[in-house]
Amino acid sequence: MSHLLDRLNFLKPKELEQYSDGWGQVTKEDRGWEDTYRNRWRHDKVVRSTHGVNCTGSCSWKIYVKSGIVTWETQQTDYPRTRPGLPNHEPRGCARGASYSWYLYSANRVKHPLVRGRLLKMWREMRKAKSPIEAWTAIQSDPILRAEYTKIRGKGGFVRASWDEATEITAAANAYTARRYGPDRVFGFSPIPAMSMVSYAAGARYLSLLGGTVMSFYDWYCDLPPASPQTWGEQTDVPESADWYNAGFLLIWGSNVPQTRTPDAHFYTEARYRGTKSAVICPDYSEASKFGDIWLNPKQGTDSALAMAMGHVILREFHLDRQAEYFEDYARKYSDMPMLVRLDEKGGRLVPGRMLRADDFSDKLGESNNPEWKTVAYDETTGKPVVPNGSIGFRWGEEGKWNLEERAGKTEVKLRLSQIMEEHHDEVVGVDFPYFGGAATANFVKCEHPEVLTRNIPARKLTLADGEEVYVATVFDLFCANYGLDRGVGGDWVTRSYDDDMPYTPKWAEKITGVSADKIITVAREFALNAEKTHGKSMVILGAGLNHWYHMDMNYRGIINMLVMCGCVGQSGGGWSHYVGQEKLRPQTGWTPLAFALDWGRPPRHMNSTSAWYAHTDQWRYETLSAQEILSPTAPEGDWDVSLIDYNIRAERMGWLPSAPQLKTNPLEVAKAAKAEGKDIPVYVAEKLKSGELQMSCEDPDAPENWPRNLFVWRSNLLGSSGKGHEYFLKHLLGTDHGILGKDLGEEGRAKPKEAVWHDQAPQGKLDLLVCIDFRMSTTAVYADVVLPTASWYEKNDLNTSDMHPFIHPLQAAVDPAYESKSDWEIFKAIAKKFQEVAPEILGKETDIVQAPILHDTAGELAQPEVKDWKKGECDLIPGKTAPNYIAVERDYPALYDRFVAVGPLMDKLGNGGKGIGWDTKHEIEELRQLNGTWADGPAKGCPKIVTDIDATEVIMMLAPETNGQVAVKAWHALEKPTGRQHAHLAEGQEHTKIRFHDIAAQPRKIISSPTWSGIESEEVCYNAGYTNVHELIPWRTVTGRQQLYQDHLWMRAFGEALCQYRPPVDLKTVTAAVNTDADSKHVVLNFITPHQKWGIHSTYSDNLHMLTLNRGGPVVWLSEADARKAGIEDNDWVEAYNVNGALTARAVVSQRMKEGTIFMYHAQEKIVNTPGSEKTGLRGGIHNSVTRATLKPTHMIGGYAQLAYGFNYYGTVGSNRDEFVIVRRMQKIDWLDQPATQEAAE
Amino acid sequence: MTVTLKALSALLTYPGPDLQTAVSEIRGVLASEGLIPDEALAALEPLLKDIEMADIYDLQERFVTLFDRSRSLSLNLFEHVHGESRDRGGAMLDLLETYRAGGFEPVTEELPDHLPVLLEFLSQRPLGEAREILSDAAHILEVLRRRLERRESPYAPVFAALVQLSGATADGDSVAEMLAQPDDDPNDLEQLDAVWEEAEVTFGPDPNAGCPQVRDMLARMDTPLTPAPARPAAAE
Repeated sequence: MSHLLDRLNFLKPKELEQYSDGWGQVTKEDRGWEDTYRNRWRHDKVVRSTHGVNCTGSCSWKIYVKSGIVTWETQQTDYPRTRPGLPNHEPRGCARGASYSWYLYSANRVKHPLVRGRLLKMWREMRKAKSPIEAWTAIQSDPILRAEYTKIRGKGGFVRASWDEATEITAAANAYTARRYGPDRVFGFSPIPAMSMVSYAAGARYLSLLGGTVMSFYDWYCDLPPASPQTWGEQTDVPESADWYNAGFLLIWGSNVPQTRTPDAHFYTEARYRGTKSAVICPDYSEASKFGDIWLNPKQGTDSALAMAMGHVILREFHLDRQAEYFEDYARKYSDMPMLVRLDEKGGRLVPGRMLRADDFSDKLGESNNPEWKTVAYDETTGKPVVPNGSIGFRWGEEGKWNLEERAGKTEVKLRLSQIMEEHHDEVVGVDFPYFGGAATANFVKCEHPEVLTRNIPARKLTLADGEEVYVATVFDLFCANYGLDRGVGGDWVTRSYDDDMPYTPKWAEKITGVSADKIITVAREFALNAEKTHGKSMVILGAGLNHWYHMDMNYRGIINMLVMCGCVGQSGGGWSHYVGQEKLRPQTGWTPLAFALDWGRPPRHMNSTSAWYAHTDQWRYETLSAQEILSPTAPEGDWDVSLIDYNIRAERMGWLPSAPQLKTNPLEVAKAAKAEGKDIPVYVAEKLKSGELQMSCEDPDAPENWPRNLFVWRSNLLGSSGKGHEYFLKHLLGTDHGILGKDLGEEGRAKPKEAVWHDQAPQGKLDLLVCIDFRMSTTAVYADVVLPTASWYEKNDLNTSDMHPFIHPLQAAVDPAYESKSDWEIFKAIAKKFQEVAPEILGKETDIVQAPILHDTAGELAQPEVKDWKKGECDLIPGKTAPNYIAVERDYPALYDRFVAVGPLMDKLGNGGKGIGWDTKHEIEELRQLNGTWADGPAKGCPKIVTDIDATEVIMMLAPETNGQVAVKAWHALEKPTGRQHAHLAEGQEHTKIRFHDIAAQPRKIISSPTWSGIESEEVCYNAGYTNVHELIPWRTVTGRQQLYQDHLWMRAFGEALCQYRPPVDLKTVTAAVNTDADSKHVVLNFITPHQKWGIHSTYSDNLHMLTLNRGGPVVWLSEADARKAGIEDNDWVEAYNVNGALTARAVVSQRMKEGTIFMYHAQEKIVNTPGSEKTGLRGGIHNSVTRATLKPTHMIGGYAQLAYGFNYYGTVGSNRDEFVIVRRMQKIDWLDQPATQEAAE
Repeated sequence: MTVTLKALSALLTYPGPDLQTAVSEIRGVLASEGLIPDEALAALEPLLKDIEMADIYDLQERFVTLFDRSRSLSLNLFEHVHGESRDRGGAMLDLLETYRAGGFEPVTEELPDHLPVLLEFLSQRPLGEAREILSDAAHILEVLRRRLERRESPYAPVFAALVQLSGATADGDSVAEMLAQPDDDPNDLEQLDAVWEEAEVTFGPDPNAGCPQVRDMLARMDTPLTPAPARPAAAE
């Protein structure tokens, strides 16, 4: 319609004011329509919260609330600004986070407490005449009743229950289990405390007060890089993403930054504007690849070959042919390269052995304290062996010399890196190095080189205390030889030419990785050249693409070697940026007392999940990888031919790894018996273990006494997302339908474990009760017996931190929890309260015996300089020295709730601390009394209250150095004792800063520098790991106190990983002739890779409509055009992927992005959405973990040995899953297994 | 007060012993108020009998499976209109305001768009107004009826009764549209594919031709709906 008649063509009304040169004018018409827009955005309040999805994002969001309903959300833009010259943190957030909020009112939400109908029916029946404990006992004592609900797990049949009833069942089950089997049979799994610390702490605190088992996640997820504890004695510490901007060269290796680190990716873009050069290494053409100035696409799983070849180039050009001054200086001060290694004789040949220790010398080189833990090097000036400061022997038992000053004691020294000069060695000797390139399966390039390569090493001859004559060499000399570098001392397997096909030249790597040698040389050279010019500002961002392989340590150590060669670690803009999983709980030492109830009893029961699930889901019964296959040809003599579970049992027995359950006999009963005999608990347990009257549970995981009985899963989708060996969980742990296609070792007639007891009949359905606490009906919830509805992230108060930025910020309750849901804190409070009501019938004040492994960052970490097994009679059983600790912990079951809601007396009595230092915290507890209030009477009389979730946040922030300046100063002072240096200056400026919950509600706050972490918060540099080691001369927490590139533990040497090697993926033998029913038809066998996705909210939620709509609305797998052609698959076809572990169904995405030979299935696409039946199993298609099975690696079990000693989520076995192969073929028949509606009703 | 609506609200709540004992009362009220025709009443009888006689656990399991766990049968009306879109918050607000304007404050843990909540509210309002509001939702009720019918669920007649009560004939188009959504026969692969199908992208021979969707979109934008208003004369 034309406006001709409305418009004045000839006149201009005089009273209308014009502005902006006539482009705008004031009019007089009705503007009521504008109210529509005003009202659209009108709200009552804006609340700051974030998304506690396992991701590292930790992005602040504004949540808009109108009349008590969340109406929309937008990104916050008020992060404290960065310093001049550095881009700001905003914008943070991603499309996935933004689409989260509608879970709040989603139909998928769990609205009420749900209990499996059959269970509730029998429960109510029993409860008519029985107490809760009696009722649960009756159900568990009747195998038919028990099977009635356990066998139908995953098959629907939920009814609503009241909170009272649901918590009563749970509490009764927990109490019954503690009394009947032991409290350690109550397991709890929850990942990633950093994303919502209080919610994690709620469950962990309940379990710890009960004596239950708190399970680790970081290692189980395979996000833990064991190379980090091995090299640095540090779980994981990384630069914040802002520090990418400071890099001169960014090497992105197996990490897909724009896709999986979306809120941080802008720093990558900005760095490129600054002129930073970037290379991307990734087999597929990932989203990150397009950022690269150069893209290298190695064959998947061969990254260590690439890293070794790059190291070869860097050493040749920057350390040997020319010595870059900065590099050499750095290597001397900050790495173990100058340290001396004994060359052991084995069958007339020499192999690298242990590091030389002061203890080996007749005069112990003047060291009386821990001489067996002090490493030795030659001093350049005097030419004499010296004991440089900083090795771990100096950390415990004395003060002032645990530092990285260039001194031995007070004497200045300059350590000798190499003995290559004529006058510095007595002889050039041949030393054997293992080579694993020949172990490759048909899917990878198999090398012709022999499995032992003898190379010449300049060595010194020494006479030791026992009169033995040994050769010693520096780590540096062994290191260079290992890289195959010719140094003019003759011999085989070393070269000067990059073009020789010899391990580890670029030409050799080209054959294995498919990346051309010239590209390898270019990237290595530029990486190092930049580091030389900028003093270390070359950075590697690396991720799951490398870490999820069985031999991830080799991938990682290959890269770490490059970084140390180039002096990048500990320098802003440089270093090792491992971003997988969310490990950084910044106020950690404030949180651990709350989470693990250290205020009431110590130690808690921690368990490494990988070993636990491997045993309890019976994956070990199907283990086809033998230790012999991965053992080094140069292994010292030993009893190495046992199965992987046997290695784990040994590790538990020697106090290396934790156990759960711990003893076959109920620890409450053991304590009673010890008391009855009037014996000290450790003495009693040691006696009975030796006599065999007590047994460790790990030796017989299938015995009913040793099953986990109750399992809590909260903040996690264990079964739908992270459960490697999903089908084994279903069969053995849950006892329901499963899709395992293979047979166990017994059925196959293979060799069985030697130490683990074999039962011909494997148990099915070990769990009595599975409780899932979630806000949506996840795969785990579907399989649970009790589902408790929890608050979502806009309905609770909590804390959130990340390793990607230095801020702490809150989750806040914008609205009350919807339906009947409650926050995790309130849920566990309710369970605790119920427990306190029902338990006294069978539990009173009890003494519990906690078995604790030898822990890293305690004096105990010096327990075992040699490997000795008490059970084989190699030594006596001494708890805490040659075996686990056995510690009495007093439980007060009738006061469990009272303890839950109060800060216990141990904080006053024992203080607080972490990572090897401790401090008094009476002052903070007093402040908490005043801030949170004090219990006037009852079992917690005089203790500060922790009633609400906000109270809990205040406990964390009051006690943590990162959020309480006074504590930070105290903590730094505590560290000054062992180091003998001044550190408190790092926090003194902020001594009076105290961050409270209401502060972070107003704006995210930057934390305060603390000795818990190896970087600092400052106005001069970004947070970067290793900064305080390099700049404050605080040693790394390793044997040498330096970055440990040589791993001298017996098991490391036995498995060929003393130095980094290329190790091809292992053969898991899951594609067998028996399972492959498609041998005669079109199919393809592919390497199964599970990266993080673009269309799921981090690793967790992919059932959100927005995400489903953006992708293909259900499970998909990606494969290359070539592979698709081979198998006759077209894009969007339904395909089935299977192997002996199980089967999955998905649509195919055929893409040029993919490298031939691989198949991608993005992590955690749940089988609750659009998944048809499998033709192989006849059941609904599985999830990505249906075709995987966890496999343990013995080197990850090492303990009692400095940095290799155990820590929760710090060291231990990891759940790798990328060495897996699957058979892929097009599906013939798509069966949805949905009965027509009419049948359902007819039945 | 329209007791029939209140009774239907009760029938759609989670079954418990209270509901079981109240069945005869509900039956009586439905008959005596006379708002529901006889044949519709007869259709409700299987559900009433079921609730009265069946094992409470079976009833509850069925209810949870149908209404708590099946997205396509959600009793939250806006699930079917807005799904997980942002508009849902606003829509719920409007409904909340309606309740308040009618003199009621919801005191339930259920969201405002929960059907039994709405029915209870309508039972307290004049019948005319109730019918009007119900008729706004008639297409949703009709869809739920059909989906339940496909499952041969005895709950289907409750929705049939509601549609009848509203006096409206559900808009056939929107019913058809909603019924076409994912719940439909999963064995019909072509239909399933169609849901996810996008326009085909072709490349070349003219490299500048670009993406056909964008081309179409631009073409649409090129046709002015109304002529652009004249610019005010610039001050020269």
